[in-house]
Amino acid sequence: MSEQSHKDKLAEALAARMNRRGFMKLMGSGAGLAAGSTLMGSALVQNAMAAAPKRGGTIKLAWVDAVDTLDPHFTSSLGSVKILNNVFNGLLKVAYDGKKVSFVPDLAEKWEMPDDKTHVFKLRKGVKFHNGDPCDAEAVKWSLERVKNPANGSPHAWKFDQLAGVDVIDDHTVRMRFNKPYAFLPVALTGSTGRAGTIVSKRAVEQYGKAFGRNPVGTGPFKFAGWRENESITLERNPDYFEPGLPYLDGVQILLIKEPTAAVAAMMAGQVDGMSLSPFQFIPQLKANPNLKVYGEVEGNYSYVGMNNRRAPFDDPMLRKAVAFAIDRSAIIKQGYFGEAIPAYTPISPPMTDFYDKNIARSGRGQYFDLKKAMEYRKKSKVQGEVNPVYIVAQGFTGSGGSGTRNSQLLLPMLEKIGIKPKIELLDRAVWTKRRNSGDFDMYDEAWIADLDPDETLYPEWHSGQSWDFVGYNSPEFDKLVSDAEDTLNQAVRKKLYYKAEDILMADAPLAVLAHMKVFKILHKRVQGFQYIPVDLLNLHSVWLS
Amino acid sequence: MFQAVSARLAQTLLVLLIVSAASFAFLKLAPGDPVSIMLGSDYSQASYDKLTHELGLDQPIVLQYGRWLADFVRGDWGTSYITNQDIFELAVLQALPVTLTLAALSLLIALVVGIPTGVLAALYRNSWIDVLATTLAIGGNAFPSFYLGIILIWLFGVDLGWFPVLGFVAPWEDFWQGLWHLVLPAVTLGAWYVGLIARITRSSLLEVLGQPYILAAKARGEPGWRVVWVHGMRNVLMPLVTVIGLQLGGMLRGAVMTEVVFALPGLGMMVTTAVLNREYIVVQAGIMLTGLLFVAVNLAVDQTYQFLDPRLRRR
Repeated sequence: MSEQSHKDKLAEALAARMNRRGFMKLMGSGAGLAAGSTLMGSALVQNAMAAAPKRGGTIKLAWVDAVDTLDPHFTSSLGSVKILNNVFNGLLKVAYDGKKVSFVPDLAEKWEMPDDKTHVFKLRKGVKFHNGDPCDAEAVKWSLERVKNPANGSPHAWKFDQLAGVDVIDDHTVRMRFNKPYAFLPVALTGSTGRAGTIVSKRAVEQYGKAFGRNPVGTGPFKFAGWRENESITLERNPDYFEPGLPYLDGVQILLIKEPTAAVAAMMAGQVDGMSLSPFQFIPQLKANPNLKVYGEVEGNYSYVGMNNRRAPFDDPMLRKAVAFAIDRSAIIKQGYFGEAIPAYTPISPPMTDFYDKNIARSGRGQYFDLKKAMEYRKKSKVQGEVNPVYIVAQGFTGSGGSGTRNSQLLLPMLEKIGIKPKIELLDRAVWTKRRNSGDFDMYDEAWIADLDPDETLYPEWHSGQSWDFVGYNSPEFDKLVSDAEDTLNQAVRKKLYYKAEDILMADAPLAVLAHMKVFKILHKRVQGFQYIPVDLLNLHSVWLS
Repeated sequence: MFQAVSARLAQTLLVLLIVSAASFAFLKLAPGDPVSIMLGSDYSQASYDKLTHELGLDQPIVLQYGRWLADFVRGDWGTSYITNQDIFELAVLQALPVTLTLAALSLLIALVVGIPTGVLAALYRNSWIDVLATTLAIGGNAFPSFYLGIILIWLFGVDLGWFPVLGFVAPWEDFWQGLWHLVLPAVTLGAWYVGLIARITRSSLLEVLGQPYILAAKARGEPGWRVVWVHGMRNVLMPLVTVIGLQLGGMLRGAVMTEVVFALPGLGMMVTTAVLNREYIVVQAGIMLTGLLFVAVNLAVDQTYQFLDPRLRRR
């Protein structure tokens, strides 16, 4: 492999392709305005309108998902990340051309790999933090080390486990050295919560200390302007933003809403310009409203029922398999997700196109509804007769992919058919989290969301001893496969490793996988220029109000 | 009089002390803790222990309570774990004015609607007016405020588009905007009080109207409105004020739901968020503030009696 091709290979390996149908649908909703009048003319008018964005105005958004902190290195909430992405920049960012998710330079101008363990980033010149400090190589090094340094206790430090060091080569060049090839790096820098490659202002962190999360200072298109507790967060235009001419908006007002019904009402009444997310049950209603645009495709996620491998009755793989095949996914999708999801056979989801098995429904791989099979496994299980596992369910709206109590309610009659009658314990989120984390349950359900790569979908969740392996799954064979895949840059090899790993995981069934879900953003028609990215982002730099 | 007030104050302080100890204990007994919430899904035992220690949550509960109390009485209400915000500022300067404004407006609506309804019901006793007024009163009282709130939102906010459905604008910053934003929440919360006030007005007025002095006033040839609104209502005020004071607890309870439904950043919203996040000291601040409010209103009610009833002034 030639030296130059390392980077191409890596980029290719990580590019998650969306299917064409998703793209067409998206275009369809955009063209909806033109559909009524005559074809080309109005489409051209629309293009002309799009070419001349209007400046000014404040966009008002109802934020229904939780915002924990605006410190990118410490957040665990996608509600925060959606805001952070407008205030901060990373070395790389996630881009989407309507078909394919890719990683492109952001604060970096160029990204090179002299060898498969070394990444060199050439930085944009003249970029300034909102407090006026220069965002140079030193700042980048300091930020990356802030995540890595165990003394700081960032929950995202693991993303840099293999980082050997960061060197400043000159004012605008930074080198990251790794102990081994690290296929996950672009995602570690940009993906999911706690985007480890997000660059924060050193002076502001030192100035505010722990309160930095309430006074974030970055380089992004919008400056943080204020946070009124339980009320709103405001951002204002950064006139020195490095993308010339952007952003168009003067400000952003984020209304923090606890009760999604209230946000939906405000959206329907046209009193807000958008919603950060919407629970599934409101989607049909929102889609029917002619003033609104609903953005949403199946994203990189999966929902599942986890079963506690550490204790009876689910220490028995046969019983777990019985559960996995007893669940009618189509009923879950219809009634739990209001049709806005597709059945999951394994955790790897469609937007990870290079890894997703398009023929999975016919391949016989993974888990699916087959009551006969379920009965057979049930007959082979250790415990015969009725079992009553404890099923912990979190109360209330739980953010992207959250279905509240619906999934558990739908599962009960399905499990009853194989002689499993769970005892449901409805808990508030704090108690639920604690019980889940300490393994005090037999069953629980949740969803992993906004994933870009199979590594983050499989490794921290199911590798033994990892932080999200709440069910105590332990398979040395699986562990080896996902670890090897992490160190491999060759896409075909990685794909093979992940397929094998998934086959083992699905057969051992520490989880019964349920669905891949759509994740929604709702915007009023007067909001223009929004670029949808299917990783639960709401970037506002290109947005304007007509 | 001064003695009576100071005795009441001493009593009050004792009550508040008991409230604070009880709520502190109950909060600690509740499963779940702020540390696991602050750290999200992904954390190590080491960072968990570190944060627990930093927050002082690894110390004996009695010590934690003692510390909190000592700081609290000195006006240091602590800093929120999650928001790093000064809790006194959050509770007293930000949340309290919102809840007070909402409560005051709701009470105003309740009085303006409730008293005439009660009077009409009493004057036309057992007529269809009475039946209608009583039905409305009981209905308003029985209807859960979160449900009424959602109905009002859909009817007046979404379908008719007359009022904003969420958010708070401080009336002291923009009076008309503030008032406009508060109409739906205040009606929601006030509906509960309307029923209460109408019922008390009706039954008290009925009792009063049977008194000899009413007959005397009528005999003197005073006009009907004067008999009712001056001689009658004056004597209805005592029980009315008493009930309003006593039912403040109910109002604050209703305010919690109303604030969540309408996204108003008041005490109810503050406490709800804090309970879900297990932010003990924020909840504690909310409870103490509510307790103080309750006690203060009841003290005030006691003091108004002497203005309402001249016979009490001589004491």
